[in-house]
Amino acid sequence: MKKLILLLSFLLLSAGLPAIASDVPTMSKEELKAQLNSSTLAILDVRSGRDWSSSEFKITGAVRVLGSEIAKWSKDYKKDQTIVLYCA
Amino acid sequence: MKHSFWLSIALGAGWLLSPESLVIAGNSAGNMGWLAIPALAAVALLFALTGNLIKQSLATENSSDFLLLSSLTGTIPAICLTIVSCLPFVTLAATALLVSSGYTFNEVFLYWFPNFGFSFLLLGLLSILQAFPEKIILRAQIIFVLLAAGGLFLLTVVGIAGAEQPGNALLQKPEKVSAASSALLLLLFTGSRLSGGSKQSFLIPAIAFVLFSFWMFASLSYVNPERLGSSTIPYMTAARKIMGDPGRQIMGLIIISGTSAAITGLLIMCRSMLGAITLSPNTKSLFSVKKQRYLLPPLVALATGILMARGLAGDDLLEILLHGALILWLIHHSLLALSAVILIQKRTGHMPIAGALSTAILIGGVLFLITTSPQRTETIRFITSMLGAGGLLAAIWYLLHKKLTPEPTTQQTEKSL
Repeated sequence: MKKLILLLSFLLLSAGLPAIASDVPTMSKEELKAQLNSSTLAILDVRSGRDWSSSEFKITGAVRVLGSEIAKWSKDYKKDQTIVLYCA
Repeated sequence: MKHSFWLSIALGAGWLLSPESLVIAGNSAGNMGWLAIPALAAVALLFALTGNLIKQSLATENSSDFLLLSSLTGTIPAICLTIVSCLPFVTLAATALLVSSGYTFNEVFLYWFPNFGFSFLLLGLLSILQAFPEKIILRAQIIFVLLAAGGLFLLTVVGIAGAEQPGNALLQKPEKVSAASSALLLLLFTGSRLSGGSKQSFLIPAIAFVLFSFWMFASLSYVNPERLGSSTIPYMTAARKIMGDPGRQIMGLIIISGTSAAITGLLIMCRSMLGAITLSPNTKSLFSVKKQRYLLPPLVALATGILMARGLAGDDLLEILLHGALILWLIHHSLLALSAVILIQKRTGHMPIAGALSTAILIGGVLFLITTSPQRTETIRFITSMLGAGGLLAAIWYLLHKKLTPEPTTQQTEKSL
């Protein structure tokens, strides 16, 4: 039974790994800070539910949008803009 | 499962020290101002009276919450109510609390460590803890509770001692006082009643009242009530205002140890509640307590891990489900109190007036919580679907048991009570 518990614990930890890894290009906070005054920069806070409510930090000037409504809000931004999606 | 005096307190205090409880306390203080303190006292008294009533009705050594509930509802509904009051609660609460802890760890302690990674790490560690001998689990629980309660006490003392004009905010006219705000305080005490003597029935609500009322007072002395009432993390806002960055770090420790205490306490509560079903003369032998000891924690951990990995944390649905799960526990507690009133009336020929009155208020409060839920339809749908699924599971459990063992011994059940 103890082996089963250890196996389940391993599976649990493994299940969390895909959430940590990501292929999406990322930006460091220093890079973002350097661009904060740029007129072409748009920061979109796409965190929802507890991902948003549990976080202490909100980026100044970020617009909160729902990731599921991308078709709706994507029209508001130009293709040549730097769009930063803040998801976690 | 009988525990020592202090241990029962450590187990019962688990949920009370969770980040969820700190949000309820902070928002209530912000919305109700000084009125939150008498409201908290009233709710604490309600749980003390109903908890004591249930203890009084469990007269014999072999009696249990499950047998008490069976005497009112019958065996299958009692199995159903027991299952649905603890399993959704522990699974959904673990999901929500671990996410909050993940963010806290990432934002307060290690910026480079992924929040989600920490949530899974803590889940894994708490699951592994459950595989250790009972003695070690209970010792760990005491440490979690002491860290969380000690941290909150420290911030409260520093806050009150250092406030320029302590209690100034208490003099402001509260703007959002409503019955709904008071009813939310019921959720603070969810899961706080466990095995133990009558003294614990009063001591846990009393300690909770003292700790939270002073914390509310300290928070109101530093944070604008409007901000406190609308914040999703009022505990962190207050901690930062009181002690700056060290305050955030202390609060971070409170959140992580409070989460660990809540999950460990809820798992033990769940095992104890389901264990009572297997020990009952009518339903024993299907899942032994020993089997549950090793099966339940990994299954709950797996379910929690799946819910987190599937992104429930980022979905508003989690709040609706958790709210529904908390109400299901309160329904179970209310029906237990009602069973106790009826049993004591039968035994003594006298109605326990204070107990009956507190039970009636509690039932009214639970109904009020359901009807005033922000997402009422979804909450009711969740509660009814859980009751339906639980009923089906209970019927299967009971029928399987009947196949495995001789006819139910109702006389034994009555004797146990």
